[in-house]
Amino acid sequence: MTDTTAAPAFRGASLTEPDARTRRRNAAERRFRLLGVGAVAIGLVALVILLGSILNNGLSAFRQTYITFPITLDAAVLDKQGNRNPEEMKKVTTIGYGKLMQQALLDALDEQGIDKGDLTDKEIMALLSKEAPADLRDAVLADPSVVGQTIPVNAFATSRLDGYLKGRVTMESATRDANISPEQLQLADRMEAAGLIEKRLNWGFLTRPDASELRPEAAGLGVAILGSAYMMIVVLVLSLPIGVAASIYLEELAPKNRWTDLIEINIANLAAVPSIVFGILALALFINTWGLPQSAPLVGGLVLTLMTLPTIIIATRASLKAVPPSIRDAALGVGASKMQAIFHHVLPLAMPGILTGTILGLARALGESAPLLLIGMVAFVRDFPGAPPQGLLDPASALPVQVYTWTQRADPAFVERASGAIIVLLVFLLTMNALAIILRRRFERRW
Amino acid sequence: MNDMRLTERVVTDTAKMTARGVQVHYGTNHALKDVDVDILDKTVTAFIGPSGCGKSTFLRCLNRMNDTVASARVTGKIEMDGQDIYDPRVDPVQLRAKVGMVFQKPNPFPKSIYDNVAYGPKIHGLARGKAELDEIVETSLKKAALWNEVKDRLSAPGTGLSGGQQQRLCIARAVATSPEVLLMDEPCSALDPIATAQVEELIDELRSQFSVVIVTHSMQQAARVSQRTAFFHLGYLVEYGETGKIFTNPDDPRTESYITGRIG
Repeated sequence: MTDTTAAPAFRGASLTEPDARTRRRNAAERRFRLLGVGAVAIGLVALVILLGSILNNGLSAFRQTYITFPITLDAAVLDKQGNRNPEEMKKVTTIGYGKLMQQALLDALDEQGIDKGDLTDKEIMALLSKEAPADLRDAVLADPSVVGQTIPVNAFATSRLDGYLKGRVTMESATRDANISPEQLQLADRMEAAGLIEKRLNWGFLTRPDASELRPEAAGLGVAILGSAYMMIVVLVLSLPIGVAASIYLEELAPKNRWTDLIEINIANLAAVPSIVFGILALALFINTWGLPQSAPLVGGLVLTLMTLPTIIIATRASLKAVPPSIRDAALGVGASKMQAIFHHVLPLAMPGILTGTILGLARALGESAPLLLIGMVAFVRDFPGAPPQGLLDPASALPVQVYTWTQRADPAFVERASGAIIVLLVFLLTMNALAIILRRRFERRW
Repeated sequence: MNDMRLTERVVTDTAKMTARGVQVHYGTNHALKDVDVDILDKTVTAFIGPSGCGKSTFLRCLNRMNDTVASARVTGKIEMDGQDIYDPRVDPVQLRAKVGMVFQKPNPFPKSIYDNVAYGPKIHGLARGKAELDEIVETSLKKAALWNEVKDRLSAPGTGLSGGQQQRLCIARAVATSPEVLLMDEPCSALDPIATAQVEELIDELRSQFSVVIVTHSMQQAARVSQRTAFFHLGYLVEYGETGKIFTNPDDPRTESYITGRIG
């Protein structure tokens, strides 16, 4: 009898003095907590490094070096007929404009009293982007009335000069560079001092089409952004109704049997299929069998729809499942049909979840590049696609693929532009995710 | 004291719904075995019995809510005014408009109080125009003894009401479609005693307009509100008869054991 009243042997005498076992347990807890903090810290550091390097490399892509000087658009050269007819003025090629520009630049240097050094006229002209005469020509053809006037022109500087102002190109590296010489850079220093050369915000990075390998300064994301936008429209228009309809059928109407189980498993598996596999499917089906054009946003949108559908279906089914059955009972109990119960009560309650899933699926599709490579969206596209719906069949590029193509190019100036494109992509993704969070908060209801 | 009231109860004799040989299987589980019940018109019928005895299952047969359970299989015959409600030609949607239901847990739609009540009449086209709908909402809320508490905030969400108010809102919602039978599945189990008393009072008033079938775990409640009582046990209907008789002088020893607290 005395045994039962005695304190068990393992129990310590004092409450304030932890015994060995308690100390071990507490130590294990502290270790685990430290591990957790460490894991989070590693993640955060990685994120900071990633964002830091992208911002560090890419933010400069939004600013570009311009050379500003007055140019007299000589009517005798540009419009020999003198009737300002753009059709006839097209006969003057960019070479003609280039000569005019070269003269104007040299005149501007003389006027400012800038020492040209030993540089030839051609070497001075090489400070300008090769795109500059073409831009001037486009501007003149768009508005022929400027012919005969003297207008200030903001021309892109060549990417080497741009790199010099951004610190990418140095005097030392210029000695080994066939495209630029230290003498040219010294002239550029003098021009900058005189206010001819300046770094400014470059909206063209967002609005211009891609440019050739030799003209990184003129390359922009216009076609890629438009192409991505077209694809997102296609994905949204196709995957939201199909995905929601499929989910409603599977979740609310379909009998639960072996077939629906099989379908369910396959949808879950499809969500995990590598995206490039969808690309191969699209290449075989949409392009080879159906004969749809390559590089078209429609085809890209179709692939991404295939890829996004499982995500949307899973998210939609989860949010349908989260609607309490009592709501369905209530609706059926007052004599609503199954469809009425779903569309009047269940779907509105599930909507925030569905929209969140859709936006997250779209965000994933927006960042996807692998399937697009296979359907030819990696092509060099300089022409903007037309307005939808016809424009959906025009060749276009896509943001993530543009990043990929730019990183493939030799000129280091494209590294900066690729990082800039990543920033644009991230801004779009963050905006979409923020929208998803706002929608979820806004429409979240309690019952 | 309750027993004294029981003897005063008037019972009509016309059957609103008749069930004959009703069997329910959930998959391989035989949940309800050969149940014969007549639900009388303008009468409160209480189903009592221990948990899992099949009383809720039988209740859900009466408005075919068991149709929504994929594994449920109902056999036997249930008639309403002489019409077989399990006839393949019967649209369960129309049936449920006539046989309203109030659930165990208050389940108002996450919409305004007004919309909660107006939903049934709207989908069944019971009102021509806004004024008529307003009237239905008002009378339904009055019948559910909720009007005075909510008349100034009809646009407030129904989910914002207290538990007892929510349950009365659900009753108003069921009443709004002018059903002929009202099924109540343990309507007071989530309510406090005061709200329970209000709902019980309500049930007694509703009896003048239609049959009420109530499933309850509280034998006192069954004795207080019902005129007829059915005792279910292990899927069988053990005894069915006048409430007074069931509670004072049951025929079956199992009924007696249950109401005296020896089984259940």
